[in-house]
Amino acid sequence: MRVTAEPAQALNDRRNGAASGSRAVNYPFTAIVGQEEMKLCLLLNVIDPRIGGVMIMGHRGTGKSTAVRALADVLPMITRVEGDPFNRPPEAIEKDESPIAKAEANDGVPRKTSRAKLKTERVAVPVVDLPLGATEDRVCGTIDIEAALTRGVKRFEPGLLARANRGFLYIDEVNLLDDHLVDVLLDVAASGWNVVEREGISVRHPARFVLVGSGNPEEGELRPQLLDRFGLHARIVTITDIAQRMEIVRRRRAFDADPQAFIAAWEPQQRALRRRIVAAQKRLAEVEMPDDALMFAAELCMRLGVDGHRGELTLARASCALAAFEGRRRATRDDVKRVAVPALRHRLRRDPLETTDAGERIERALAELADQP
Amino acid sequence: MLTFTAIVGLETAKQALLLLAVNPALAGVAIAATVGSGKSTLARAFAALLPEGAPFVELPVNVTEDRLLGGLDLEATLATGTRAVERGLLARAHGGVLYADGLNLLDHSVVAHLMETMASGVVRVEREGLSAVHPARFVLVGTYDPSDGEVQRSLLDRIGLIVPFAPQTDARLRAEVVRRNQRRREGAVEEALPSAPVRLRDEAADDETHMLRAMIADARARLPQVLIRDEQVQALIQAALSLGVEGNRADVFAAQAALAKAALDGRESVDDDDLRLAVRLVLLPRATRLPEADESRQTKDAQPRAPEEQSQGEQDGPNGAPSAQSEQLEALLLSAAEAELPKDALSLPFAMQRRGCSGSRGAALNSRRGRFVRAVRGDPRGNRIALLQTLMAAAPWQAVRRAETRSGSQLAIRKEDIRVKRFRDKAGMLYIFAVDASGSMAINRMREAKGAAIRLLQDAYVHRDQVALIAFRGSRAQVLLQPSQSVERAKRELDVLPTGGGTPLASALLTAWELARQARGRGIAQATLVLMTDGRANVGLGSQAPESGSGALVDKAALQQEIQQLAALLRADGIHAIVIDTQANYLSRGEAPQLAEWLGGRYVYLPNARAEQIAKVVT
Repeated sequence: MRVTAEPAQALNDRRNGAASGSRAVNYPFTAIVGQEEMKLCLLLNVIDPRIGGVMIMGHRGTGKSTAVRALADVLPMITRVEGDPFNRPPEAIEKDESPIAKAEANDGVPRKTSRAKLKTERVAVPVVDLPLGATEDRVCGTIDIEAALTRGVKRFEPGLLARANRGFLYIDEVNLLDDHLVDVLLDVAASGWNVVEREGISVRHPARFVLVGSGNPEEGELRPQLLDRFGLHARIVTITDIAQRMEIVRRRRAFDADPQAFIAAWEPQQRALRRRIVAAQKRLAEVEMPDDALMFAAELCMRLGVDGHRGELTLARASCALAAFEGRRRATRDDVKRVAVPALRHRLRRDPLETTDAGERIERALAELADQP
Repeated sequence: MLTFTAIVGLETAKQALLLLAVNPALAGVAIAATVGSGKSTLARAFAALLPEGAPFVELPVNVTEDRLLGGLDLEATLATGTRAVERGLLARAHGGVLYADGLNLLDHSVVAHLMETMASGVVRVEREGLSAVHPARFVLVGTYDPSDGEVQRSLLDRIGLIVPFAPQTDARLRAEVVRRNQRRREGAVEEALPSAPVRLRDEAADDETHMLRAMIADARARLPQVLIRDEQVQALIQAALSLGVEGNRADVFAAQAALAKAALDGRESVDDDDLRLAVRLVLLPRATRLPEADESRQTKDAQPRAPEEQSQGEQDGPNGAPSAQSEQLEALLLSAAEAELPKDALSLPFAMQRRGCSGSRGAALNSRRGRFVRAVRGDPRGNRIALLQTLMAAAPWQAVRRAETRSGSQLAIRKEDIRVKRFRDKAGMLYIFAVDASGSMAINRMREAKGAAIRLLQDAYVHRDQVALIAFRGSRAQVLLQPSQSVERAKRELDVLPTGGGTPLASALLTAWELARQARGRGIAQATLVLMTDGRANVGLGSQAPESGSGALVDKAALQQEIQQLAALLRADGIHAIVIDTQANYLSRGEAPQLAEWLGGRYVYLPNARAEQIAKVVT
């Protein structure tokens, strides 16, 4: 018996759909079922990047990575100078007292002198993945090997931090990242500048990004210093609602069968969310937080014994962002309550033998405060 | 080579592989089997079933990151003067199968890359000034020997089908394995002088392969049309809940497995058999508890509904109440599964892993991370190039080389100029607390040991140390906390501290030695044993606990000898030891110092040891 062999065909072709090639096809953000806390935390950071990033901790298989990777597709476009490896807007280059002039001396990057002719372009907000094995060279930038080898020229080649400027930097399994790399990232995230002084190069360039980390607490703890640097801390758990789980199965199957069609079907929702985000970003500057809401935030932090002022600050910013997202110009006590858990969960004092969940302690404090006039 | 159908045994594994070939959405198959069970033969035979042109790439356990992800193709780069990127193993598996023998032995960073690639379908190379993206959609076939340790749970979770270990006890089956292998070898001899029967046999095997391939192709074409009813999906989800499966990923895998089985059987809709197989290959291996009819109903009722579900407004979500039909179906599925469930919940693979290791890390020795120490000559593949040193090494020869090749002003760098970086990393340490949980003071000792373990973990972030805790009482030692970096896990798993009974010191030493050895396999070179005891053993390795009867007649000399031997074993393996003597009566000391001497370790007398003191002594 002779059976004709199948034509040369890849095993996974069916999944590739029309989008075969090297672009990752993302599951639409708006099609993610449940996990509202995580989604809200991400969106608040989109609206106000000063909130300081999100740390997402939780069970496996609950859609952490899916959500972050999906984020890119709902972010509004940004304007940058054409081809700028640091994603700078034209104003930034004009204002820039050019600490990176040295870095640009040898490449085709637009410079101040050509200010008059600076061309701009619209690009998607970068969402940059930091792979676990990335070397410090690749993260911070390094000498351009090609230029060095072929022309004997010392030229700076920007790294991931440059590419993440004005966007998001995502680290999956952040608790497994090399400690020295974590330190570098935190310094840059705090200052907004990346400074490279090595192998005979000296460069300084802007690197403002929202740091998004995710991890599983059972795989290794995060250093407390690191935890505190993330603005919000979302916890996610396995969804136990059967109806929701059925919806997950249904949507995932549809996506796996034909990603392009699925993405097209969700485009209206994606577009609506995009519009809402743009409106919220515009509205944010006008949102005000009355004194009683601010007082409420401060009292909450005091009651919980949160050290420093980062807690109040994050509470205030997140509350305003939430109000802006919902089309309001006033952040209320209610907004504070709604963002309190993710804003404070990781800032409570750690007691080695304390078994009560931090979220529960915050809820309890909120309830106690509500009882007071 | 043996064909897929000719392989005896591993029936479940075969079935799983066929489902995977039909439905790549299952992501992969993980097969647990011991050495010599034919698992790798099976995987290679599986390769023959793939459509023509689909690659089958083997992932060696000791793969370097450069080989895995791809990196600079140095020779091509130097020859052409422009950067050439070499595709790594992950990218080469695109459109086919990636096969890993020793799934549990892969380095943590390799596993991380593997998972990221499986999620995104692309490989991103971000190293050494290189940046490239290659498509990499493949299915993963992994085999492992469970006696070498467990597969990292986060990886296992992303693999759709899991074939748990099933010892081949059937003697007839074993005999058949040998017979068929024998026959194959004879066949190989005969092949040298071709004769009719051999050709016939080869053709038969060929036909079999072709038939299977046609069957798979047929099923793949049918798959998009196969229907699964809502109550069937619901039954799978309820089964997952009853079994305590973590996350929501398994639901999707279970549905996909049922669909694949229906497609393979040539049906247009999923039936009960398909669901049963899905439970067996997807949900059961992920169970963390046994389904108890009553209890599971209760938990389901008590489950809080996730808040604010409707945000899109457009979804025509099904109503949440489990239909009577799907409950019936679930009961049917679980009762079928019950036969395969171990009686003891703790021997479920995922339940065990919850207690087992998952935070293994890469080796600290000869690491390619950490502080750059010096540049040495070496192979650029798998190492990081020290650029300045390389250029400096090449500089003196430029004039000579230019003359030789009569090329222009291009920099001539040759292989022998290449310098690579050497790094030193902070080495992680494993602290093994072995605590005497017998006798009246045990509860105190245990609590303080727990406190010390957690304290160590909290200080250990920077050093990446791990802590394990062994309690010994009754007839043998028990690992209460597998090596872990997680404070949370330590707190949870040391929640209940059993105490009382005899003192099986020998068993504790043996258990500690095993933990240290396993840790070494994961790259943690140094282990420290912290032994909290009064040193008085009264239960040997082979004996019963004295409490269980009149076993008070223990041969003391034999016990001492056993302990001395074990101590020597630990010492020979370079395991540091600290013996903390908790004997309250100062005068009756003697056994513990002796033990410390045998172990070649330190002796500390802390009769009322507090957690802080212990932590201080240890570090």
